[in-house]
Amino acid sequence: MRKTVFLLVLLAAVLTSPLFAGGKQESAGTKKAASAGFDWKAFEGTKIKIMVNKHPWVDIIKPKIAEFEALTGMKVELSIYPEDQFRTKRTVEMVSGTSDVDVFMLMPGNALAQYVQSGWLAPLNGLMKSKQYLWPDYDLNDIYPAALNAGVREGKNYTVPLLLETSLLAYNKDIFAKTGVTVPKTMAELESVAKKIYESSNGDTYGITLRGKKASATSQWVDFLHSFGGEWLDSNGKAAVDSPEAIAATEFYGKLLRLYGPKSAPSNSWYESISIFMQGKAAMVYDASVFKPNYENPEKSAVSGKVGYAIIPKGPAGSIPHVSNWGLTIYSGSKHKEAGWLFIQWATSKAIALQGQLAGIPSARASAWSSPEFKSKDSSPEWTNASIASYKVASPLWNPPVIPVGECRDAMGSAIVASILGQDVKAASREAAKTIDKILANSK
Amino acid sequence: MKNRVRYTFILPALILMTIIVAFPIIYNLYMSLHIWFVASGSGPHWNGLKNYIALLSDKRFWNSIRVTIIFTVGALGSEVLIGVLLALFFNRQFKGKDIIKTIFLFPIAATPVAVALIWGMMYNYDLGIINVLLKAIGLPPLLWLADPKWVIPALIITDAWQWTPLILLIVLSNLESLPTDPFESAKVDGANSLQVILYITLPMVKPAIIVAAMIRSIDAIKTFDLIYVMTQGGPDIASENLNLYIFNMGFSYFRMGMASTLAIVLFTIVMAVNVFLAVIRNRDVT
Repeated sequence: MRKTVFLLVLLAAVLTSPLFAGGKQESAGTKKAASAGFDWKAFEGTKIKIMVNKHPWVDIIKPKIAEFEALTGMKVELSIYPEDQFRTKRTVEMVSGTSDVDVFMLMPGNALAQYVQSGWLAPLNGLMKSKQYLWPDYDLNDIYPAALNAGVREGKNYTVPLLLETSLLAYNKDIFAKTGVTVPKTMAELESVAKKIYESSNGDTYGITLRGKKASATSQWVDFLHSFGGEWLDSNGKAAVDSPEAIAATEFYGKLLRLYGPKSAPSNSWYESISIFMQGKAAMVYDASVFKPNYENPEKSAVSGKVGYAIIPKGPAGSIPHVSNWGLTIYSGSKHKEAGWLFIQWATSKAIALQGQLAGIPSARASAWSSPEFKSKDSSPEWTNASIASYKVASPLWNPPVIPVGECRDAMGSAIVASILGQDVKAASREAAKTIDKILANSK
Repeated sequence: MKNRVRYTFILPALILMTIIVAFPIIYNLYMSLHIWFVASGSGPHWNGLKNYIALLSDKRFWNSIRVTIIFTVGALGSEVLIGVLLALFFNRQFKGKDIIKTIFLFPIAATPVAVALIWGMMYNYDLGIINVLLKAIGLPPLLWLADPKWVIPALIITDAWQWTPLILLIVLSNLESLPTDPFESAKVDGANSLQVILYITLPMVKPAIIVAAMIRSIDAIKTFDLIYVMTQGGPDIASENLNLYIFNMGFSYFRMGMASTLAIVLFTIVMAVNVFLAVIRNRDVT
């Protein structure tokens, strides 16, 4: 009864979406007798249902669906929803248990734990190894391992990445030249560069700007955490954000902002932070790689054409940035898993990845980055090189691999804010770890 | 028989009200006795009064209560004080009164989210105009929304900017409709203008002030849009009021049972404040 009420409420929310497309399920279709070897036409006549979020990547594949249908003889029903409705609709489909969806988009860093734990996803390992269903030209090894690993839980693959983002250190070349500093390679250099810029400008120019607004900060702080040798959780699944390494990272992150960063740091999310950098008020910013078009837009940015890019400086454990990605997954209740897998391979193929790359969607495939077509169009090889360097060493984890992600990020965000404000980081980190453990204990 | 027939006429309205008002409240009360972690995909299970007991030791809950009280008292206090003073000022004839009155009413017409976005920008330490003005008159710039000590005053200033005119409007219309005889007899008796205001005007408009305060207090206690847009409860939880905590518990953390528990607490507080104000008002009127 209660579950029904909940479903009705969710359903009502989704029904208000103008994009709601009620699709009828078609029976398994005319599945051809499986012959040995790969065959695009193996599921001719089958109808598959794909659910996606309104994302620039979808604009790339939508006009090409007809090509896929011609290639395979399948029928594809593509339902597109704005992001918020998409998440709601996706949950409703899963909770109902009667969904006829076959393939959908998922951001593993956000939702994989929940979807795997609830048994909503089909493992892809069998399909990835199958001679019959793995397209010989697909080339799994071309996909950056960090991107593929983001979709792995307990040794099983659940998602295939369709794009790949990372975080980069962006710096203002003019300020660097004026101050006489070079790109920091280590965390110690990062601090001394920030300090020198801040002090030599008498506090007019901030050394660095970073996110400081609670939960939003954790997605960039996590790269400092990993580079200092810390982790969200230890091997027993208990909070590890109060380990000596983690405390050192949180302390360092807060100190950079407190001493050489904008005073408004605790209320800055990505928008405020990159705005300060784009106005030339800060010499460095560490944030998502996809903000390059913002930095380089001469209409909005005072620093366009003067920005350099680098991988996160080395900490005690090395340079460990993170990658985040959207991926495609197969619903565990799908009746057309193999057909869905053909669609996934086509949609994340080298050709489509390259097309996305040329349209500004950073690809998860090395071949797209190294292709001559992309290289000849590349306006910022420095960004490209830094991105590739980042992909190669990145960690696929940026959120703790648990269901209550937002709650854990909020708990840790409190400790980060405490560090920025110069409060007792050790005590704040212990408090955060205690809170996270309590949250996890209450999440059954 | 006749008596019964007349009840059937209000029945449709009664049924509708039961469905849209009573059911959500009762269902919410029922849910507040459950643990329901929606993100796990499992249904709610019975938890008795343990949600309420857990709140007693929840620091974030007490923080949200503290924020709610400080914000409400601060906003309501400044709005009533400034609103009544302005109403007394406008309660006379002078040239351009209507134009100035109209300008004063603009903030009420503005969308709270737009107001919050613009004030958020103005408060920004590095990019905002308020610090530019502070520096221009020789004062040090403030962190405003980034400073746990200043964030609530900053929110109160914005709230007061938007809603003081409402108090002004209610009190002024009441002032303008007051009978003139008491004032005339006071003048004859030789009362000075301060005495007139304190002993005649204010007592006469007190019911109107209380009504205005009632409307504003409900809004201030359950303020959401302003805080959500400007600070999202930050820095950390320094400006997270009860309503924002409910939102986080329910829609960020998906803990519907606990969110229902918090909602019941908020509901109780709003009801209590209003019963209190209603009692004061009725005591004065009768």
